[in-house]
Amino acid sequence: MATDIVIPSDLWEEDEECVITSWLVDDGASVEEGALIAEIMTAKVQYEIHAPASGTVSIKEEADAVVAKGAVIGTVA
Amino acid sequence: MICVEFQSPADGVAREEALFAAGKPALLLWRSVERGIVVPRSRGRRPGFVGLSMAAARAGWPLMLRSSGGGAVPQGPGTINLAIITPMPVGARVEDGYRLICGAISEALMRFEVATETGSVDAAFCDGAWNVTVGQRKLAGTAQRWRPIGNGQSIALIHAAIVAAHPPASVWPVLSQVEAQAGGITPPRREVHVALDELLPAAMAPQALQGALMRAAEDRLHHLPRRSLEGAAAA
Repeated sequence: MATDIVIPSDLWEEDEECVITSWLVDDGASVEEGALIAEIMTAKVQYEIHAPASGTVSIKEEADAVVAKGAVIGTVA
Repeated sequence: MICVEFQSPADGVAREEALFAAGKPALLLWRSVERGIVVPRSRGRRPGFVGLSMAAARAGWPLMLRSSGGGAVPQGPGTINLAIITPMPVGARVEDGYRLICGAISEALMRFEVATETGSVDAAFCDGAWNVTVGQRKLAGTAQRWRPIGNGQSIALIHAAIVAAHPPASVWPVLSQVEAQAGGITPPRREVHVALDELLPAAMAPQALQGALMRAAEDRLHHLPRRSLEGAAAA
């Protein structure tokens, strides 16, 4: 069963979107739960995205994509 | 000495990141002897960064990478950096981090009868909604890095770069090139910035202000909810 990699929905007050500044793993990479896998930026804040589970990463939104709060940017299965 | 003096801006950034990695509450006030321009690490992965970096170094402003967000920031003897590393309470938002550091700078300057506001400044370097401004000119820029640590808590590195003295004129064309490479449209301009040495009598700055800054930042750290500190210590 896949676990979603989700942009936090309560990290900032306004409804501004954020940018995926980088994926630190490749699509299809194996990761351990808690590993740093991506970074997003909003309002000059770099926020670390960590793997929500162990498994294989499937990237759904590429680096430089602009995404909303709560968006699913990938999965780990 | 209250303000730690590093040889290179990269040394100061490395110290901030080591404190952030340790994950415990900390304050650091620093500046560097050498000049440089510090940009977010994600910029270093962009096409053309190597060529841009070489050109900037030839102009006397080598580029260095940092882990927080934002844009290009000149560093050197004229920039005072305030870094606050703190666990953030459950439910805290990034604006809370900005209120913390902007509030500390504002309180410190109030002791010298300098009134500040926050807001964006068109054509300022590393512009953002949480600049500290005086008379609508940018005095300090702020940025953050957050790391989730579980149970809804995060560790935050909250950073401010305060213009103590204007950088040499040679920085502005380099800053323009760096921002243009990242898609910036408005070149940064000197006249929209203000420096501490314009605001404070020379006899006061910089030692007295540094002490006031540290006290104001410490006060704010101590008033964060206790449960967040305990949670971070257990993580």
